[in-house]
Amino acid sequence: MIEITESYVDSLAPNSSAIKNAQGLVKKRSFVQLNRSEDDALLFGECSGSGKSNYQCSADFIHPEKPVLRCSCPSRQLPCKHALGLLYAYIGGETFVTASVPEDIVAKREKAEKREEKKSQQAAEGAETKPKKVNKTALKKKIQAQLEGLELLEKLTLSLIRGGLATIDKKVLKTIQDHVKQMGNYYLTGAQTELRRLALLLSNADDREAIYTYAVEQLTLIHAFIKKGRAHLTAKLADPDLTLDHESTIEEWLGHAWQLAELKDCGLMAEQVELIQIAFLSYDDQARQEYVDQGYWLEQATGEIHRTVQYRPYRAAKHMREDDSFFDVALVKSLYRYPGDMNRRVRWEEMTSRPLEQHDLEPISAMAHRSYADVVKQVKNQLKNPLGDKNPVMLLHVAEVRQTEQGQFAITDAAGQHLALDDVFTFGHATVPLLPHVPAASLTDTTMLVMFEHGLDSGRLVAQPLTIIKGADMIRLLY
Amino acid sequence: MSTALLQELHQEVRRLYIAGSELAAGDFRLKRLLPQFQQLGERAPVFKRLGEGIAALLEPSAQQTQTSAETLQDLGLLLSSVLRTQGTISPEGELTAVKSRPNSLSTKLSYRKLAAVQEALTTTGSGRYEVIVQAFEAGMFQDLRLLKHAIAALNDPYIDIAECAMNRILPSYGPQIVPHLIELFNPSGGKLETRKLRVIGQVGGEEVADLIYQAAESGSDDVRVTAIELLAGREQYEEALLGWTKDKKKAIREAAYHALAAGGSARAVDRLYEAFSSKDIELAAEASFKCHSSELTKRLVRDLGLELKQASEAKEKEDKKKIEALWTKIQHFLTALDGKRSEALYDVFVHVTNHYSFFVSLGWLELFDAAAYYLEQTDTEAALALLHELEQHNVRYMPHSFRSSFRLLSPAQLYERYVESMRNKWKLQTNRDLAKRKKQLLSSIEQKVMSREYRPYPILWSIPNETVPLSTVVMLPLEQLAAQWDHRWLDWLIEQNALELVCAFAHPGHVAAKQFMIGKLESNPEFRNAFAGMLLSGLERAGVSDDVRWEALVTALEDKRNTNCYVFEGHVLEQLYQLPSAYCDRLAAVLSKFKYTAGEQLRYVVETMQAAESAANTSKPV
Repeated sequence: MIEITESYVDSLAPNSSAIKNAQGLVKKRSFVQLNRSEDDALLFGECSGSGKSNYQCSADFIHPEKPVLRCSCPSRQLPCKHALGLLYAYIGGETFVTASVPEDIVAKREKAEKREEKKSQQAAEGAETKPKKVNKTALKKKIQAQLEGLELLEKLTLSLIRGGLATIDKKVLKTIQDHVKQMGNYYLTGAQTELRRLALLLSNADDREAIYTYAVEQLTLIHAFIKKGRAHLTAKLADPDLTLDHESTIEEWLGHAWQLAELKDCGLMAEQVELIQIAFLSYDDQARQEYVDQGYWLEQATGEIHRTVQYRPYRAAKHMREDDSFFDVALVKSLYRYPGDMNRRVRWEEMTSRPLEQHDLEPISAMAHRSYADVVKQVKNQLKNPLGDKNPVMLLHVAEVRQTEQGQFAITDAAGQHLALDDVFTFGHATVPLLPHVPAASLTDTTMLVMFEHGLDSGRLVAQPLTIIKGADMIRLLY
Repeated sequence: MSTALLQELHQEVRRLYIAGSELAAGDFRLKRLLPQFQQLGERAPVFKRLGEGIAALLEPSAQQTQTSAETLQDLGLLLSSVLRTQGTISPEGELTAVKSRPNSLSTKLSYRKLAAVQEALTTTGSGRYEVIVQAFEAGMFQDLRLLKHAIAALNDPYIDIAECAMNRILPSYGPQIVPHLIELFNPSGGKLETRKLRVIGQVGGEEVADLIYQAAESGSDDVRVTAIELLAGREQYEEALLGWTKDKKKAIREAAYHALAAGGSARAVDRLYEAFSSKDIELAAEASFKCHSSELTKRLVRDLGLELKQASEAKEKEDKKKIEALWTKIQHFLTALDGKRSEALYDVFVHVTNHYSFFVSLGWLELFDAAAYYLEQTDTEAALALLHELEQHNVRYMPHSFRSSFRLLSPAQLYERYVESMRNKWKLQTNRDLAKRKKQLLSSIEQKVMSREYRPYPILWSIPNETVPLSTVVMLPLEQLAAQWDHRWLDWLIEQNALELVCAFAHPGHVAAKQFMIGKLESNPEFRNAFAGMLLSGLERAGVSDDVRWEALVTALEDKRNTNCYVFEGHVLEQLYQLPSAYCDRLAAVLSKFKYTAGEQLRYVVETMQAAESAANTSKPV
């Protein structure tokens, strides 16, 4: 028996219009035929579309953690609305007639199996015989180039500072844009992004005065990056093995894309982990030229909060699956962590899910931090690092939510320490105004997920409420 | 306090970044800060390092390798790291309990679903309305996170969205939405505020009555008008409504009259009636049109009668001004009395009809329009007689009179009244008045027996499971037609060359009709206009055998005049589907003549025939 929920099918869909269209197919009764295999591992059917003959779609659950959705339609979306519609029809309780597995699927299954076999065989052999060989000369060359790039970047930023931000005009902006392009040639994607962010800030001609603070901050960030990057690269160059640094985020800053195997080698893989998503957010990062889908997940066993990050480059965004809020419990076979401090980035390849139940949520309250003094210390420690994540997220126990006459909100811990709540600037989503609509019971002796941000202008450390969890009830103020 | 000092340094560093690090050497504002840092530096190493940074900026020494920019960057980086550890976390001001607003809303929607609606509600561009309406119909607005956006939608630049929010989305929250709207409501605002007020009035019940009254009393003009409208039918505010009918602003008076008319109390009627003799007669007339009070109708009818009588006096005196003034007034009375019924009003219209020539001489044609409309609704013999009289005076009233006759007279009487009694006149083809009369009569009959509709047809020729609306002619079923209409009509219609009606009236066994239609089809084979389709259905009604009809259809298709047909009508299409496959080759031969949808339709027919034929051939034993 295939056990799937609607939210699971939603999560398979590449975007919300695919969900809508798929459900539309079920509503319009476009499915001419609905079948299931005898062992209940395969759903298949025929759906009428705009083509002359019906589309043959199927959902293969022979590996339940990795269902394969196939369809004969020419859509580039994967999975397409027909295959999704088949699953919605299944959830909706439509009758699926038992039938034998179609030949082409048998053939495809066999092929896939062979592929798997080959892979595991190769893996077994490969692991024994030869570890992945790195072309050290090439790598050295790359590091040299990166060092040169840093040099160039430093020259540019220093000249900007010498002249002063106020003197930056269109011509200078053009030079910065040129440098943005050049950073790519030096394998410095991180530098490219940050320099582009600076250019974006400075090209905002409407309100220069307001952006100066951010531009200064961005310049110091680039400075820190150059310093750390140079030290790291020089050290690496001196190291005969040229090993990756798996402690800090510097490799990612320098543009290294971690491979899961590398993370595994660095001992950053955990097995059989259960995760609950407690907040989600998606934003358009113009400096990266990517959409970023970010999920915050609570690891049930340890109480740690991890972060999944999916980057969808503008150019490929149409064909990529847009990540979504996830309401079930994710059962992850192998969880890979990235180097970092708080809210480490995590990734996984395969997962199954089960519905979220009361007993999953109730222990969360015990995992929340109870002393704000300690929390603030931790957060400040993280913020101190110029290359660290500027928006750490933490789970706090809240004795009470209160407000001032002016409408400012604050949370209080058991010791009576207050922490002011406000919306963070970076992502531009407002959640604080929703607090009065939250049931009063959920505002006392409750658990709150907050995102921190330090305002350099105001000198304030603010926390934005993302989610409130009380007992078995989770109120997502963001997404 | 050292945080203040750090902030001050931050401001200075920021200033140098903007002005350029070259200017840092010897900067006197920076110099002023230095001693404090040096002093604090004795105890805290961080301050010492900051102090060193400041000093290096102020006096770049000769042996120093760093440029001023580098020194500034070092200082800036260190300072921002230090500042980040100094953020204050306590709120400003006295903390009190949260002013919670209980509600029934949840937060169960996923990002992708929510974001699509949020985007639609916060951006501009096409396609947003559908997203919002679909979200509303799917109950998505019961999500807490959309509440704020739903309220903001009242101010959407696309008016349909704003009205959807006002009429459907916000009322669906029920009374819990009212406090939010009251909080945001600004009585001195414009259109946006009227929408808020309307939602408040709609779901707020008695509790918000006073708020609405206050808005009506002291809001902006737009708000007052809406508020007054919302006070209609609330007795306790009648006094105020009466007062507002004397307001200086016309819009306010208008709203007040309408509100009074909707209430319909005795005092309201008095006031409305009173207004008929003031400059507000136009406003009062429009308001009275909506008022259901019989007392008001009685008074207005009485006055209308008096005004009409005055008209003859004025005519005698040849007082043109007076006549003009009377007519303006009478028009307002007619507006107010439109759709109302009373015996006295009937008497007034009888009087009007009986004095046709007099009122026509004044040019008051609308008076008769009202009379004809009223009499048609009356459905009595006497009223019918009056209508016939009107019809004699002016052919414009024939539709009214014909409809009424159709209801009251027997089929034979109807025929006799309209055809036999004028038997000889109908033959005079050249008379202009007669031509008009004939046109009116034919169109009156047409309205009774046939209508044009768009009906959905499956798009068999390209997307079989979708439908497209095709124009079709719907005719009264034959039995019904035979029961309601005299059989002599058909002969007369042939005589009058009324093609469409002949098709409708055609019945089996009428040879003349059949010949008439076949003849017409030969001379009008173009499928681009509706005649050919109509003739085919006429032939079907006439009981003409299938072969004859099929032959006629295919002959018409083959006719060389048949070129510019874009799409076949529903009825023609049905006929095409019925064609036996024997016609396949003849159809295939003309296929090239038909383009666009018509071509696709015909190709589908031909292909279906070919498929059926080959299927038949293969199943046959060889």
